[in-house]
Amino acid sequence: MRNRSIVRAGLAGILAVIVVGSSTAATGKFGQSQKAGVLRMSIGAEPPSLDAGLATDTTSSSILFNLMDPLIRLGPGPALKPLPGAAASWKVKGATVTLNLRKNVRWWNGKPTTAQDYVYSWLRTLSSALGADYAYQFFGVKGAEAYNSCAGGKDAKGNACDEAALRNAVGIKALNKWTLRITLTSPQPWFIQQLSHTSFLPVYKPAVDQYGNKFTEAGNFMGNGPFKLASWKHDASLALTKNTKWRNAGSVKLKRIEMQIITDGTTAENAFDAGNIDLNTTGVPPSDIPKYKKLAGGSRNGALGPAGKAIQIDPALGTYYYGFNVKNISDVNQRRAMAFAIDRKAIAKYITQTGQVPAKGFTPGGIAGGPTIDKNSFMPASHQTSKAQDFMSKVANPKKDIKLYINNSPAHIKIATAIQAFWKGIGITASIKIQEWKQYLQFLGPPPNSDVDVYRLGWIYDFPDAYNGLVLWTCDSGNNNTNWCNKKYDSLINQATKTPDFDKRVLLYQKAESILTGANGDLPIMPIYWYTFVVYVHKNVHGFLTAPTSQYDFTKVSVS
Amino acid sequence: MVADRRAEFEASLIRTAETRGQEAGAALQRASLLRDAVHRFSRNRAAATAAFAFLVLIGFVFITPMVVSASPYDINFENAYLSPSWAHPFGTDEFGRDLFVRTALGGRVSVEIGFAATIAIMFVGIVYGAISGFAGGWLDNALMRFLDALYGLPYLPFAIITLAIFGTPSFWPMVVALTVASWFTTARVMRGQIITLKENDYVRAAHALGARWYRVLFRHLLPNTLGVIIVFVFLELPGVVLGEAFLSFLGLGISPPKASWGTLAQDGYSSYQSHPYIIIVPSLAIAWLILSAFFIADGLRDALDPRTRSY
Amino acid sequence: MLKFIVRRVVWTVPVILLVILMTFVMMRQIKGNPFQVTERAVPPSIQRNLDRKYHLDKPWYIQYAYYVKGVATFDLGPSLVQRNQTVNDVIKEHFPVSLKLGLFAMIWAVLLGIPLGVFSALKQNSIFDYAAMGFVNSGYALPNFLISTLLIYFFAVKWRGVTGFPTNGFEGWHAWILPALALGHAPMTVFARIVRGSMLETLQQDYIRTAKAKGLRWRRVVGVHVLRNSMIPAVTAAAPLLGFLIAGSFIVEFIFGIPGIGRYFVNSITGRDYSVTMGITVMLSVIIIVANLVVDVLYGYLDPRTRDARA
Repeated sequence: MRNRSIVRAGLAGILAVIVVGSSTAATGKFGQSQKAGVLRMSIGAEPPSLDAGLATDTTSSSILFNLMDPLIRLGPGPALKPLPGAAASWKVKGATVTLNLRKNVRWWNGKPTTAQDYVYSWLRTLSSALGADYAYQFFGVKGAEAYNSCAGGKDAKGNACDEAALRNAVGIKALNKWTLRITLTSPQPWFIQQLSHTSFLPVYKPAVDQYGNKFTEAGNFMGNGPFKLASWKHDASLALTKNTKWRNAGSVKLKRIEMQIITDGTTAENAFDAGNIDLNTTGVPPSDIPKYKKLAGGSRNGALGPAGKAIQIDPALGTYYYGFNVKNISDVNQRRAMAFAIDRKAIAKYITQTGQVPAKGFTPGGIAGGPTIDKNSFMPASHQTSKAQDFMSKVANPKKDIKLYINNSPAHIKIATAIQAFWKGIGITASIKIQEWKQYLQFLGPPPNSDVDVYRLGWIYDFPDAYNGLVLWTCDSGNNNTNWCNKKYDSLINQATKTPDFDKRVLLYQKAESILTGANGDLPIMPIYWYTFVVYVHKNVHGFLTAPTSQYDFTKVSVS
Repeated sequence: MVADRRAEFEASLIRTAETRGQEAGAALQRASLLRDAVHRFSRNRAAATAAFAFLVLIGFVFITPMVVSASPYDINFENAYLSPSWAHPFGTDEFGRDLFVRTALGGRVSVEIGFAATIAIMFVGIVYGAISGFAGGWLDNALMRFLDALYGLPYLPFAIITLAIFGTPSFWPMVVALTVASWFTTARVMRGQIITLKENDYVRAAHALGARWYRVLFRHLLPNTLGVIIVFVFLELPGVVLGEAFLSFLGLGISPPKASWGTLAQDGYSSYQSHPYIIIVPSLAIAWLILSAFFIADGLRDALDPRTRSY
Repeated sequence: MLKFIVRRVVWTVPVILLVILMTFVMMRQIKGNPFQVTERAVPPSIQRNLDRKYHLDKPWYIQYAYYVKGVATFDLGPSLVQRNQTVNDVIKEHFPVSLKLGLFAMIWAVLLGIPLGVFSALKQNSIFDYAAMGFVNSGYALPNFLISTLLIYFFAVKWRGVTGFPTNGFEGWHAWILPALALGHAPMTVFARIVRGSMLETLQQDYIRTAKAKGLRWRRVVGVHVLRNSMIPAVTAAAPLLGFLIAGSFIVEFIFGIPGIGRYFVNSITGRDYSVTMGITVMLSVIIIVANLVVDVLYGYLDPRTRDARA
């Protein structure tokens, strides 16, 4: 009897599971084979939020960029000139920016996107209640920071503040339905380019009012761009479909985009090789990169295509660097020695393997004016042991035991291991301390942690102006964990913000950069390489590229 | 995973304790029982082979690095990813370091962590269980209720949280993390043992003769649990080593240039399509350890409990 | 009997509270800012706003009180990292996936493991026994990640044309087979061993010998008497196994890219998403506690002695 009931229970269980299982099998299965007009791709993470006010990472911003119609689009690199998007034209006079909006930009329900939409959205992002990380993007606007700091009736110092009044004082005004006026705290030459960032996209007020926090779900999301959000299965997949009513819908060739969220490189590689996806943006384990480079023209399951097309490397605006704690490693010659002992070419060739450029200076060569800015920087591409030893010999009291802090991604660990060996060659024993990412960030400071001798970080540019990277090393910067403070450097950076003329500004940047990484520079940081974006793409996918700001523009992509 | 084994084990152990309890008594008989157990163990072919295999592994792990000198700093990109050959029996990794030595070095770390964590688990479990079982009454009740609560803690999440608290994973944080949620069954079994043994006549006799509680506990009760403890050690060891491998695989393992089998496997995972041996070797090493420990535990249990023989 | 059940059920409440407290305290010890995702430092005013929004600026006991109130009303709070989602959303979306995976793995384990164990016991020491136990033992020892990796490599990549298995994800019934195999392999070996062991024991029992001597048909003896009594240890092993399957599926979910709760959990710890971590841990604990409760009740029903020993 008991026996039978066990069996019965078991059978019932199996039956239940099969029923449940087959029901999910019926819904929304992604195509297992390639179809023209449909792009099947992988993305590397679940988008934390598709709320323009809250989206902080590159995955969310890439998706939002295609769901919405940004005010400004950036032209091709390296100049990245601002091109009209939802804004037809603009006028910049000193610290005042006036944007004239196009009249044919419509939300998916047909209503037009007006200047009031932008005012609402931007003030919402600035509000303290939303807790938007990227509110600081707006701090260049007059009154923005004050409004953002007023939380619960009290400001940062604990004094009473009037949120409503502060809100009205923010320099974002709609002059009429189609004109937006922005008053900045000071002239900022890059502000127009900055407007291409996700934070400046609008959100649809009625959706926010009706759905609250859930307005970003697939059925509720309202955008105004070339693609609609057809489905979003959290942590699993997203699907975008073409918005046939977009103002430029005729030029959009893709009908549907199926994005699978694959966080693991090996899994993504398997999917790409097996033909389940045609575009792999998640990446591939470094050890398998040579396979894709070698398989030019060869075909494995037809997934890899003609020469050079299987792997696509686009330059990025970002720098991978090691920062020194100049209080612990106080002799600049030791820092120079450590910088010269490293073989950047070998690191790029053997470890990262995806076309990274050995960094000459901190500012990436791919940014507008980059080569001029880095003209006097002297980070060597291959290691120069004799020069390094020369520098070391000039050091009176070298610090031979170094604590190198990194976070626990495999690539960083490999690079650190290699650098550890390089430094051993000049008599420095580095012990690698690995920390988990979040703890690492908190550990580094501010205020800078005295236990840290060298630390690893990278910087991805928010907007394509060298200022965004150079400002990190000013005395007050919250990202400066080096204890390095140079008044001359600060004044150069300050001056640059007041210089709207591009060429003059580049010269100022050049002077600043040589204080950082020039032959007589202080070298508080040691740049290692400039980032690249690497994706793996099937030969039938055309027109795909990763912009230097890391965004994908699917309006230019087609699948034959 | 090991919890299941314990469920089966618990039942058999309580019987063992009863048997031993009846047979045991004074220290007099213990010597012959031990010798008897050893004799039975060595006759069990599987167990004896396993013991031999275990010792071979331990030998490999500790002796090889002493004989073959290789520094983890020996980076040589030219030699990267060589297939297994005479010069490099297990091939080389991405830095060109010989994997044979790395596996041995990694084994040292894994085995050390394994034993340290096992001993920690034993210690905590025994202390907790012995106190609870011996004291009885309200203290026993309270401790057992608390233990019931702790049983609800899922093992892996808490190990991960513990590691995150320590931040940078190294030897001791790993040991603590592996111990934190694994000692509950040991405590329960020990308590069960002590309770059963407590009822024996010789204990009452000792009490009657005026022996203090600690003498009863340490001289009479605990030694009779020794057999069970030793079996448990070999039963826990695989779980702990596997746990360490899992945590390392998820990226929470020991920092380089030190390695453990788990971190070696994690390194190997990303290149398994082109260089499968990098993940296979440490996995096989782990399997070797687990299998041999398992059969040793089985053999020990059979040696101590005469009832599970073939019919 | 009813009193026993009621007592056990009532006890689960303080147990769950304790689990929450422990998780809460441990999570707060982990350093790291949930709001700093990239290298970019969070400006102070924004940090203030975020802390305020998620009550992180209040003292810990107030936060704890908020949280307990939330749990009581089944509201586990908002996610700190996934800004538009609550923990309830996360659990609702991902837990069924893990549950399905766990159940499938369990089915596989039962379907293959129990018959293996039964027949190995019946044909003890035969070739079948050795082969089966060899397979089982080596399968148990091989780490999960190696098995998953090999399965994907052979069945989903190399032989894809034949099998049609996808390499990742959970869409379509095809996709469940490999992960269930990978995850269910270890429990399968456990079942096989337990069933074999307990069958061997049962077969030794006097009443079996009696039945044999009486001339009853062997099939009937096995099918009715032996099987039924041998299953009890397997049943009791099933409950903690389910706990293992759910909590220990992290690696399989990670490798196969399955959007389950395990993978989400690891991400939430690395992302310092306090509420998600606590929510999932509490939920897993509740499941384990309930599973243990069910087993205890079952055991109490089947074997009256344990009612008094445990209570």
